[in-house]
Amino acid sequence: MNKHSRSPLIQTLAGLVMLLAGSATAFAGPSIKADGMGLSKSSVFSVPEPAVSHYPTTQPGESKLLPRAYQGAPPQVPHSVSEFEPITTQMNMCAACHGQPALWGQKLEKGMPTPIPPSHYTDLRNAPGKVTENLIGARYNCNQCHVPQTDAPALVKNSFGRK
Amino acid sequence: MTVTRRDFLKQSVVVSTAAATVGLPIGELAEAATQNIEAGWRWDRGVCRFCGVGCGLQIATHKGKIVATKADVDAPVNRGLNCVKGYFNGKIPYGHDRLTKPLLRMKNGRFDKHGDFVAVSWERAFDEMEKQFKRAHKELGPTGVGFFASGQHTVQEGYAAVKLFKAGFRTNNLDPNARHCMASAVAAFMQTFGIDEPSGNYDDIEHTDTMVLWGANMAEMHPVLWTRVTDRRLSDPNVRVVNLTTISNRSSDIADMEIIFKPQTDLAIMNYLAREIVKRNAVNWDFVNKHCAFATGPSDIGYGMRGTDKFDYEAEKDTNGKELTMQLDEAEATGQGKQAGQTVEQKNRASAGKHWLIGFEDFKKGVEPYTLEFVAELAKGDADEPMEGFKKKLQALADLYIEKNRKVVSFWTMGFNQHQRGTWVNEQAYMVHLLLGKQAMPGNGAFSLTGQPSACGTAREVGTFSHRLPADMVVDNVDHRAHSEQLWGLPPKTLNPKIGSHFTKLLRDLEDGQLKWAWIQVCNPFQDTANANHWIKAAREKDNFIVVSDVYPGISTKVADLVLPSAIIFEKWGAYGNAERRTQLWREQIPPPGQARSDIWQIIEFSKRFKLKEVWGEQKIPGLKTEGFEDGKLPDVLSGSGHSPDASLYDVLFATEANRKFKWPDTVAKGHDNHTALLLGDHWFPEKALFEEYAQFGRGHAHDLADFDMYFRDDVRGLKWPVVNGKETHWRFNEAYDPYVKKGSGFDFYGPAGKSLPSGDLNGVTTQEKTNIAGKAKIFFRPYAAPVEQPDQTYDLWLSTGRVLEHWHSGTMTRRVRELHWAVPAAQIFMHPDDAKARGLKQNSTAWIESRRGKIKATVETKGRNRPAKGMVFVPWFDEGVFINKLTLDATCPISKQTDFKKCAVKIYKA
Repeated sequence: MNKHSRSPLIQTLAGLVMLLAGSATAFAGPSIKADGMGLSKSSVFSVPEPAVSHYPTTQPGESKLLPRAYQGAPPQVPHSVSEFEPITTQMNMCAACHGQPALWGQKLEKGMPTPIPPSHYTDLRNAPGKVTENLIGARYNCNQCHVPQTDAPALVKNSFGRK
Repeated sequence: MTVTRRDFLKQSVVVSTAAATVGLPIGELAEAATQNIEAGWRWDRGVCRFCGVGCGLQIATHKGKIVATKADVDAPVNRGLNCVKGYFNGKIPYGHDRLTKPLLRMKNGRFDKHGDFVAVSWERAFDEMEKQFKRAHKELGPTGVGFFASGQHTVQEGYAAVKLFKAGFRTNNLDPNARHCMASAVAAFMQTFGIDEPSGNYDDIEHTDTMVLWGANMAEMHPVLWTRVTDRRLSDPNVRVVNLTTISNRSSDIADMEIIFKPQTDLAIMNYLAREIVKRNAVNWDFVNKHCAFATGPSDIGYGMRGTDKFDYEAEKDTNGKELTMQLDEAEATGQGKQAGQTVEQKNRASAGKHWLIGFEDFKKGVEPYTLEFVAELAKGDADEPMEGFKKKLQALADLYIEKNRKVVSFWTMGFNQHQRGTWVNEQAYMVHLLLGKQAMPGNGAFSLTGQPSACGTAREVGTFSHRLPADMVVDNVDHRAHSEQLWGLPPKTLNPKIGSHFTKLLRDLEDGQLKWAWIQVCNPFQDTANANHWIKAAREKDNFIVVSDVYPGISTKVADLVLPSAIIFEKWGAYGNAERRTQLWREQIPPPGQARSDIWQIIEFSKRFKLKEVWGEQKIPGLKTEGFEDGKLPDVLSGSGHSPDASLYDVLFATEANRKFKWPDTVAKGHDNHTALLLGDHWFPEKALFEEYAQFGRGHAHDLADFDMYFRDDVRGLKWPVVNGKETHWRFNEAYDPYVKKGSGFDFYGPAGKSLPSGDLNGVTTQEKTNIAGKAKIFFRPYAAPVEQPDQTYDLWLSTGRVLEHWHSGTMTRRVRELHWAVPAAQIFMHPDDAKARGLKQNSTAWIESRRGKIKATVETKGRNRPAKGMVFVPWFDEGVFINKLTLDATCPISKQTDFKKCAVKIYKA
């Protein structure tokens, strides 16, 4: 219930009802306040205070890998990307570092880049099934799938993947 | 592909010695790694829940839960790729605050608008919904009730909603959130071609040499199409990509040329291109003479605002007052051949869509003022860019379009559609392509991209708009009504001929008290509609009853009176239609949680509560004035119906004899469930029966769908309509591809709407006698019009809103996925560092952002992916905590009624 949406009279009356009839709501089961629903736990008429969050400032090789959401999910970026974006036709700093087919199947030492996998060297539209020498153009915009993670507080739990 | 393919990539990407692995089949690598995990998993194909691209998925389920998704390698749209949102489809059902029980506002065991929510049974929920419906219906008639539909409704859900509301309840107050998204595209298709939806398809990307983006940040909004654009660009050095935008963005990063223009001056840039085409003798006269006609319409059409100040806040009055009279500024006057300072009464507000034929000489006269000097001066959007450089870019753009053997595709989305002259600027894109004869052929065409997964398939094709019926038909056409009544088995004059309220007007009707009962499905209108302070207040304080069906709580559920828990996409059967006319169907993969139920079950179950005599008797319709109807009334149609007055809408509209022949279970299910069929009982298969019933509207009318089962064949990944003799249509209007084109014509723009028109000049109609232009497309002259609200001394910045890659719409699904939430946890104010500095702000400062309509707080982002020029800011709208639609202006294109979310004036100051 939103206090701004009611006249002062109704608010007062409602308050009285709550005081006098505390037990009256019991038979209706537990109630849920609208203001407590959703992702910003406040009245739709109020102005929530925005929170500041931060992307990682660690350099490549300094951070631990982040857990994959599921087998086949694109890995998130554990390090700062501020110096490596934008990705342009002239420069792709992600690929410059992670384009390491020689590392396929190798055990990675700490600090070594996760190599862009063979799937990204396979042109699924025109030549599926063949790994080529070159990163496929359709995979060129790394940040369409691979995103860094801020330190923002979690919003809602998610039970995907739990038995 | 040529042998030089990938040359560019060879230079720019560091590739170490990979030769040893070349030729290794990828499947073996991937499969070896996953084989053990996948034991016992069931894989089936599906469609991405999010944008209008329509990517194919493979979904793995185990013990009733989704355990993984993959991009479908066999889907021609995306060939094994998703964007980051798409990869997280599997997580969206599993947020812990899923709505799993109906919730009713109650006090002391009874419904009370001022009560808190209490969990109730479906029976109790429907009881209250029915009671409140009948109260509003009795007081105000069919006009007093309404339905907010969606471009995310499945085809069958949208169809069921249309049938219940238009045929059952006889109200046209049903409109989708796609009104905010695609209405301008629709209006322009109808006016230009006489039929809705694009002629081309996504393969245009691989066929073309040039891709021009107009107000479409495809890198974030159509990411998988952008992978195709990028691949094409990097594969061939001759390919060019141009990004025309009001804000520098990620699409600019891959573009060869970026053109930053001032809001709404795209109208002028288009006319510059037309003028150049004429001046350089580049008109393709063979094409134009055979297949086109020139046309124009009135310019005094208003801005789609209320036209009354009765509900205005004091601060709103100056902007809103321009709805009735507008004083022309210098640019607008020049562009329209009028005097600067002249006050123009907006006389054609109610007839904004009318138009007439003109001659080429008039067209030429219309575009004549749009010289390079005039347009560059007006349009240059970055004060720091030198004028000469900007002029050179405009000339280079004209060169690309005009170059004789260069193929060109123009893409656009919300930049054009959410626009106070959205219909005009869509039409101007066709103007350029038609003048050049570069339309409706592989690699050549103006291509309107769509925003939502079924804005095309459901909102447009089914016709969940307040003026529409299925297959491009409209309620105010007597033949279309009769045809629909015949297909639906309705007595004549059941359908209401009066166009209902569009999406924004439904909210205005709540504020007016004209609408007292509303049902919302698969959308979030109280977060997604401009000028939101008015509507959230109307919802909570006026005498009305608002039902919201949703999967998660959000702004709209918070202002609702009754919340119904819905099944999410993977928990039901359905069909979506994407932006290239591709219809894709899927099976139910997992059961809905708790008491959650599919939207189609909710619609059909609710219909059981109405007897014909409650809705098909005489009904009052204020303002109805149509030939064949008594003023203000719909007739009693009970006697001619052939049904008992006590028959229910369920039996008459849904569980008909024909529909009950589609039995559940069905072998097409291959072991998958259908909770909707099981709960309805009666052993019929509603999603299949309604799909087949709906398909009758389009078959033989150039909207042909294949039969339901064909879409589930192993070798099918959706089909582009019209599907004729089992074959999809790749390019429409082109004889080589489209079976509907008249033989020998080459091209045939056969859409039937608006093909008989009076003639005139730029000032109006001079000959009422109508000319038939069947088979032709129209080339419209549309002038520059100034935005109704512009920055001034007080509100000194432009505000544009939009999406981000990581979140879908109002964020209700994607923000429940932690990887997406952590990637972009909050909406920020993207602004130029100098603009921030001038206000004492810097990166991460908290600021107030305020318009005439409201104010909110957000943090400042000066180094982000969107890089506005000075004077412009961008705030995404996904974040309910940064409720930016409290600030936006509810001005619409007067023809399409689509809101302009891309421009209003704001001020920003330190919080």
